[in-house]
This record gives sequence, C-alpha cells and structure tokens, in this order.
Amino acid sequence: MANLNIDSVKARTFDAIVIGSGISGGWAAKELTGNGLKTLVLERGRDVKHVKDYPTTNKFPWEFEHHGQLPVSVTEPNPIVSRCYAFGEDSAHFFVKDNEHPYVQTKPFDWIRGYQVGGKSLLWARQTQRWSDFDFEGPARDGFAVDWPIRYKDIAPWYSYVEKFAGIAGNKDGIPELPDGEFLPGYPLNDVEVYFGDHLKKNYKNRHVISARCAHLSKPNDIHLQQGRTQCQNRDLCQRGCPFGGYFSSNASTIPWAEKSGNMTLRPFSVVESIIYDEKLGKATGVRIIDTNTKQSIEYYARIIFVNAAAINTNLVLLNSKSNRFPNGFGNDSGVLGKYVAFHNYSAHIGAEYDGLKEWTVDGRSPTGGYIPRFRNVYKQETNFLRGYACGFSGYRYQQHKYDGVGSSLKDGLVKGDLSPWYVGSHMMGETIPKESNHVSLDAKLKDDWGVPLLNISVDYDDNDEKMKKDYIEQLTEMFTSAGFKNIQPSTNHQAPGLDIHEMGGARMGKDPKTSILNEWNQVHACKNVFVTDGACMTSTSCQNPSLTYMALTARAANHAVEEMKKGNV
Amino acid sequence: MNRRTVIKNLALVIGGAVLLPSCLRKDGTSYVQLKHISLDGDQQNLIADIAEIIIPKTDVPGAKDLNLPAFVLKMLDDCYNKKDQLAFLAGLDKFNTLVKTKYNSTFSDLSVKDKEAVLIGIENSNKPKAGSKAPARRPKPQKNMAADPLNAFYWSIKQQTIFGYTTSQFFMTKEIFYDMVPGRYNVHFPVSKLKLKLA
Repeated sequence: MANLNIDSVKARTFDAIVIGSGISGGWAAKELTGNGLKTLVLERGRDVKHVKDYPTTNKFPWEFEHHGQLPVSVTEPNPIVSRCYAFGEDSAHFFVKDNEHPYVQTKPFDWIRGYQVGGKSLLWARQTQRWSDFDFEGPARDGFAVDWPIRYKDIAPWYSYVEKFAGIAGNKDGIPELPDGEFLPGYPLNDVEVYFGDHLKKNYKNRHVISARCAHLSKPNDIHLQQGRTQCQNRDLCQRGCPFGGYFSSNASTIPWAEKSGNMTLRPFSVVESIIYDEKLGKATGVRIIDTNTKQSIEYYARIIFVNAAAINTNLVLLNSKSNRFPNGFGNDSGVLGKYVAFHNYSAHIGAEYDGLKEWTVDGRSPTGGYIPRFRNVYKQETNFLRGYACGFSGYRYQQHKYDGVGSSLKDGLVKGDLSPWYVGSHMMGETIPKESNHVSLDAKLKDDWGVPLLNISVDYDDNDEKMKKDYIEQLTEMFTSAGFKNIQPSTNHQAPGLDIHEMGGARMGKDPKTSILNEWNQVHACKNVFVTDGACMTSTSCQNPSLTYMALTARAANHAVEEMKKGNV
Repeated sequence: MNRRTVIKNLALVIGGAVLLPSCLRKDGTSYVQLKHISLDGDQQNLIADIAEIIIPKTDVPGAKDLNLPAFVLKMLDDCYNKKDQLAFLAGLDKFNTLVKTKYNSTFSDLSVKDKEAVLIGIENSNKPKAGSKAPARRPKPQKNMAADPLNAFYWSIKQQTIFGYTTSQFFMTKEIFYDMVPGRYNVHFPVSKLKLKLA
C-alpha cells in the first residue's frame, strides 16, 4: 500500500475490528469494548442514531404522502425488496434497493438487506426462541451436514447473558425442546390462543401453544433503563425504529453501550473488500475497506477480527479474501466455504374461524403472538422427512365494516360495525437441510460499485421441504378441525428462499477442519484471530428464529477472544 | 372565527400547499400536479365529483372538504402502474359515454340522485367477492384492479376515496380513535366493554 506513514498506520491500528454493526456485530462491539479493547466497527452503510434517525417513527398515517403505500417508482424497479412484508412507505429508507447492490440469482433468491448502522436489527420480527440439544444434536443424529462442535450446555450461560441485557419477554413454559430463559414478563395469550393450547394439551403429546418469546421490554429492568430504553408501548410500528427503545436493536442497545465505553470507533460508509492475511505471521493483520463516498481503499489493522457482515455478505468477504495461503477464500482449506447455505421454509400458511368465545376479545396491541414449538421428529424420527417446523399461531377479531354503496350509508358503514368472530392464523417455520449444492460463489466477471465481485446465489428448496410443507398443512388442518375451527383455509406459496430473511451457513462451525470453516469458538480453523459469529457460522438451521443464537454465540466468542488475547494465544 | 383558528387554518393551507404541489383551476379548487397520468381539468373535476358522491358532505365533512380528490389523484398518479393507468383512462371514457348515452348530459350536471344511481349501477354490475376478510396489515387498495375498464375506473376511485378518508386526520381523530401508542394489551377483555359503534 502507498500509505507507509508510521503515524497514519498507528491511527489505523486497533485492538479489534468488527465488520458489521447489525444484531451480531453490535454484540461483538459491546463485548470487546466492554473488555477494554479499542475496537473499530466498520459499517458499509450510513449511520443511524437511535431516535434521531427514525424520521417516520411518530408519523400518523395521513402524514405520509401516500398514507403508507409505496409508489410504483419504488416498487417497480425493486421487485425483490418489495416482496418483504416490512417494506413500506414508513420503513423503505432502512432497506437496500435492488439496484443499490445487485447480485446474480443463479436460482431465485430474495436477498433482503439493511445497509446502515444497526443493519436489519431495526427491522427484524424480534422473535427470540432458544435452541436445545434436540437442535444441536440434529445433524449428528439424522446424518446430515456435520456435527455441531457445541452443545446446549456450552451456549446456555450465554443465552442467559444476552437475554438479560437485550430484554426478552416470555414465560417459563418448561418445554425441554424450547428451553426457558431469563425472561421479563411474557405477553399473555388471548382467549382463542389459550383455547387452542388447551385443546392440544388434551389431545396430543408434546404439542404446545406458548407466548412467543420476543425481544421487547414488557417490564424493563435497571440494565435496560441504563441503556436509555423504556417499556414497550405496544405500538406495533417497530419497523420504523422505536423511540422508546421498546425492542432490542443494535441502535438502541449495544452500539450506544459500546460508544459509552469510550473504546469504540464507528466508521460508516466502509465496505470491507477483504481480510488481510500475513503469511509470515500466519495470521490476519487487518482488513481492506473501500470508503463508499471517496472510493478510496484504506487498510485498518488489529489483533483480532470479528466478521459480522450478515450471513451472505460474510461469505462474500471471506470468499474475496484471497492470498497465497488461501487461494480459494479465507480459511477455505476444506473447500466448503460458501456451501451448505440453508434457510427457513416459510411457504405455508393456514387460516380459519372459531365460533366460540364470542364474549371475549382483546384491547390494545401485542408485539408478539403464539408459538407452537417443533413437535415433529423431536424425540425420534417419525415421518418420511427429516427434522420439523415450528408454527406461528395467533387469534384475532376485528370490527367488520360495510363498504357497499355510496353516500351517507357508506360513511356510516365505515365508522360502525360489529365485531367479527375469532379468526386464527398460523404460518410454517421449517428447518431446511444444508446441502453442498446450495451455495454462493464469486462471479467471475461482474463487480459492484466498489470493485468487489458480485455473488452468485444458488439456493433452492428440495424434496424434504416439500414433504415437510405437506405435513404442516395436514397436521395443522387436523389440529384445527379437531379444535372445532371452521372454514379452514390452507395456502401455500412459492416464495423464493431468502424472503424468510433467515439465510444461514456457508462458513459453518464443525469439529473437523477438513469439513468446516470454524471451530467451536467461531474461530477460523486455519487462522485463529478471525472470528465469524453471524448467520454464516450456522451448521444447521433448526426452526427457531436465529438472531438470539447469533447474539449468544457472538458474546461467547468475543469473551473467548479476550481470554485468548490475554493468554497470548491470538 | 377567533385568531387562533385563523392561524391554524392558515397553517393548514400553507401546509397543504407545501405537501401537495397543486395547480389552481378555474373554479378555484386546486389538485395535484400530475406526473405520470394525464388528466385534464374536466377529468379531474369528474373524479372529484365522483369522490364527493362516494363520501359526501353530511353533518361531517365530505371528500372535497377533506381534499380527498387531490389524494385520489396523487395515488392514481404515483401508485398505479402504466397498464392500470391506461385501463383507468379507458374506463373514464366509457364512463362518460355511459352517462351521455343514458342521460344526454355530463356526470357533473346530473342531480345527486342520478349521480348516485350511475355509481350504484356500476357497483352492482360487478361486486368484488362478498364475505368479510380481515383487514390487511398494510391495505393495498390499488392491488388487484378489475380487468374491465369501467369497473377499474369506478373501483379505483371508490377504494382510494375510502382509503384516503379512513386514513385522514379527520376520520382517525374524530370518527374513530386511532390509538398510536396504546401502551397496553388487555388480553381477556369483555366485548361489552369495547367502545365500538355497532352496526
């Protein structure tokens, strides 16, 4: 590099570098700075300061130009992001537009991204269920992917650690396959949700409706108030950013906490081009970034590097970090980098009506709903497909208006209306099996605006997914029917992988460096001062929403990194 | 009118002018300057008159009072794709022909009763599927436009007028109570205690 000025090198040298400021990068930043490490946090997008940079957060519907609708000038050039449920006139500024960072869809893949400080932690659905050993032991028991190098006991204390700080609402349900955690009071289930839960308890072994655990401050503790956050106000406008800090995001929680330590340097507008590997030292010495405003290439140095660019982009950074030592991508001695990418199957839904409990309803709003933990193939293999699915389950009523005709009768119909019967709805959250053929790779020719190769994404459903989807519809139809629900309407869609926004893998953890990229501490097997703790590290996907596990793995790895630094091992 | 009201109204006028770049027309009303769909003054008037029949002034404000025609035009301009806009324009011509054939008049010159009869006639000829359906989290009134131009024209105006009305400040603060910050979730709540205006 041209810049050999010693002072300049010093100014660009830190104890640690964190690539990415989303849900896992924020945790890496908090843990490393909290342990006294001078930490550079690199973010490819702009800064988003808590509250100050939530421009729509307190707007009423009529204060939006199109009352919340997106104009064709936004939706037509951006078909991918427009398919995301949270993409609206109130939240569009937090999403990457299709043409801002193109990729090659070898097979259809809806890659939903948030390039800003906080990443997608501003936009997530805030569901936080723990994994159990039924999940960590899955690949070994069922013979797919590779064995996880960790078990529940390894991560359990770290689940507790992150739950206490993030603030997770939930009930102690005592279900072995969905372990209890450190909960704030859970949001209660409504009457029809309770009714269905009782029905399952009476008629099935091992099927439960619980209040879905979620990262909302139902009753903040002192640690949350110290973060400047306060109780969730049940606005249900989370995708705008929450002025109360009612839900967990990097912006509301970990990033300002890291900032407060005085040890964090946050550098937005910094696309990481590659990780720098020093052949003589046998370790990574820093990263090379492109400043997105000046297009200047700059190197930063540190003793340890955390890669938290979000699953697919972490694969991109690693694949693009080539050296004599790693000609096929960083740490890729095994050749599995970019492979065994998996996701969650969200392509089935079922709705129905219930004629009972007419005298009860709800008042106010809940930030979460009901959740049916996985009940298929938990204790033993019992179906013609591997693994299983969790189900969202919610009941609701609404005021039925009349839209007929014109004039004063119509005006009346828009104001008045009787309450509907209870409606219930469920969606499938299916585990998918990581396969070598589901992979991402660098395009040989095409590059992005920063000179980084575009990614080819080749990820698809398989026969196991189809069988599981069929089973979901069959089982839920049967459960709904026996519960006395009427007008049962199952539906399936063909949404592309990616729209679940649970893409995982590509740099999986494993015991054997010959078949995995990362060890049990999320360290690159072949370069121990590089840690990957976002979705890219996932060996299998289970069916729980993954963010809580990323947080716990990150906190665990960061504290291990600090110990190893103290011992002089990295 | 006291001073405070005057200032408030002035602020509304100025605010409106800033929010909706508009063109002043002969009759003094002003609607949105259109960028993607071509509608002349008469056509804009027609849409405004239809909106006013759909949501008329009663003891509470109507479409024109609430500037809903400008909102409908803005939605037609920005939120409909080219194909749907062309269907809308074709439907507008059919609509004018239908009125002319039946009444030998323009829509705007008809009595309120005749105007209502024209709209109800179209509505009854092609009702969207009956049955109550839960309101979507993000309602998209411009989706699934009718294939037949006359219906595409009528239902677009009706749906956007209703959407604009039910998301207007007037409606959400005076006709219903939009609770932006409920701060509560009472989960086992007797229906009898709900403050709903029943049908």
